[in-house]
Amino acid sequence: MVGLSVGEKHFIQGGIAQDLRSDGRKRLTYRPIYVETGVIPQAHGSARVRLGATDVIASVKAELGKPSALQPDKGKIAIYVDCSPTAAPMFEGRGGEELSTELSVALQRCLLGGKSGAGAGIDPTSLVVVEGKVCWDLYIDGLVISSDGNLLDALAAAIKAALSNTGIPKVDVAVETRSDEQPEVNISDEEFLQFDTSGIPVIVTLTKVGRHYIVDATSEEESQMSSAVSISVNRKGHICGLTKRGGVGLDPSIILDMISVAKHVSEQLINKLDSEIAAAEASEEES
Amino acid sequence: MAAKPGSAPVTYSPNLGQKTRPPIFKDNDLDWVRPDGRGFHQCRPAFFRTGAVNSASGSAYAELGSTKVIVSVFGPRESKKAMMYSDTGRLNCNVSYTTFATPVRGQGSDHKEFSSMLLKALEGAIMLETFPKTTVDVFALVLESGGSDLPVVISCASLALADAGIMMYDLVAAVSVSCLGKNLVIDPVLEEESYQDGSLMLTCMPSRYEVTQLTFTGEWSTPDINEAMQLCLDACSKLGKVMRTCLKEAASASQE
Repeated sequence: MVGLSVGEKHFIQGGIAQDLRSDGRKRLTYRPIYVETGVIPQAHGSARVRLGATDVIASVKAELGKPSALQPDKGKIAIYVDCSPTAAPMFEGRGGEELSTELSVALQRCLLGGKSGAGAGIDPTSLVVVEGKVCWDLYIDGLVISSDGNLLDALAAAIKAALSNTGIPKVDVAVETRSDEQPEVNISDEEFLQFDTSGIPVIVTLTKVGRHYIVDATSEEESQMSSAVSISVNRKGHICGLTKRGGVGLDPSIILDMISVAKHVSEQLINKLDSEIAAAEASEEES
Repeated sequence: MAAKPGSAPVTYSPNLGQKTRPPIFKDNDLDWVRPDGRGFHQCRPAFFRTGAVNSASGSAYAELGSTKVIVSVFGPRESKKAMMYSDTGRLNCNVSYTTFATPVRGQGSDHKEFSSMLLKALEGAIMLETFPKTTVDVFALVLESGGSDLPVVISCASLALADAGIMMYDLVAAVSVSCLGKNLVIDPVLEEESYQDGSLMLTCMPSRYEVTQLTFTGEWSTPDINEAMQLCLDACSKLGKVMRTCLKEAASASQE
């Protein structure tokens, strides 16, 4: 994917071994993160996150739907990621499909919690309007505009920002109907309900290059990785999901070590992200 | 697939956990039993058999409780012309469900990610540099889905690869753990999976003690992660032994 000469490869690997990466960062430093909210007026909530040259957009759309028969007290949440060919020529046609599915599945795993809904970043019970009859279906779409590594962390940050930007219209249920009928609902276009986004985790991807691991790898650095572990951590410091990429095996003790490092890094990332989101919301209101 | 004498299904339950942490279930959870009457840290009996498909280079059949899986391996054969030159071999994995595998017909198509998960679990164990310019195809078919499908598919696929004579560093054994309330149950069945609060799947190479793939869902605290990983690693090493015995049996049978 990334064409690198032997010299460049050594430069990257050697830099990481000495805790000074090619762009001057340390191993556990993120690139500056920029957040913009409300970029897509058509959606109920949206955000754009830039992390170096990586640029992603997340949008949240809500539609009224019917909850599934198995879980009548929960709304449905779907997460999809699209890799646009504008980001890289290899995403053209079906080329981006594999990466898109991988990212979507990883995000679903990290944000939606277990089957019972426990540990989910977004509480699915808050989406129910009338139990068993009407609920909000939340469609979260991620779009990769420009790719320079660490897509998963950027997408998770964008989704977190988009959800805190999301206003779900208030719904009034018209007079009580018989139990077998679909109730009539009235969607308000003035009152909006905000989400509680404090429980939404961030994803920290630790990329292992040589014997060390780094956060927020650029695509050059990713091309030198042996394996990468993406860990999603919430504010309480609990692990909400974990996925491993790259084929090379890891020793179990290294994984546990990575988890504790990710916890430590996530604290700073969550704080940074929260202040960026607040700043973005403030500047959106001004304009 | 008639079982030969001496090849009765063997279980691979880890023996840790209950000893190190006796009071896992208290008060209200005491009367809770698993749907098939197993203990929380007790695995289903595992049955493996190689050589299930004659036309394939290698194949294996696995049966754990009601989960039944068949995996065939084809190749190494020449990579498609459209693919670029590669001095390492390629691995191509596909997991599919029969329409009658799930309680609701055709529900198996929900598991699109299984193919890429199988690939990632296996590629770390295969010596890809031993077959340059060629592709190995691994096709898995879930005949009956009874819970813990992906771990069974992965274990079975590594056995099929061994049967095909593909060079590997080690067999890959996979085990999953579900978190229900504050209990950890190993090798969950379909019913338990649908109510789980969180799950962990670990695939590892038992002799090398290396994790090839690891996934978590749901919220986990650090002590729980440690306990669940220990359970999985222990179960994996036992499952590895069961798989090894199966290979040895097949080899000694063919010598006779």
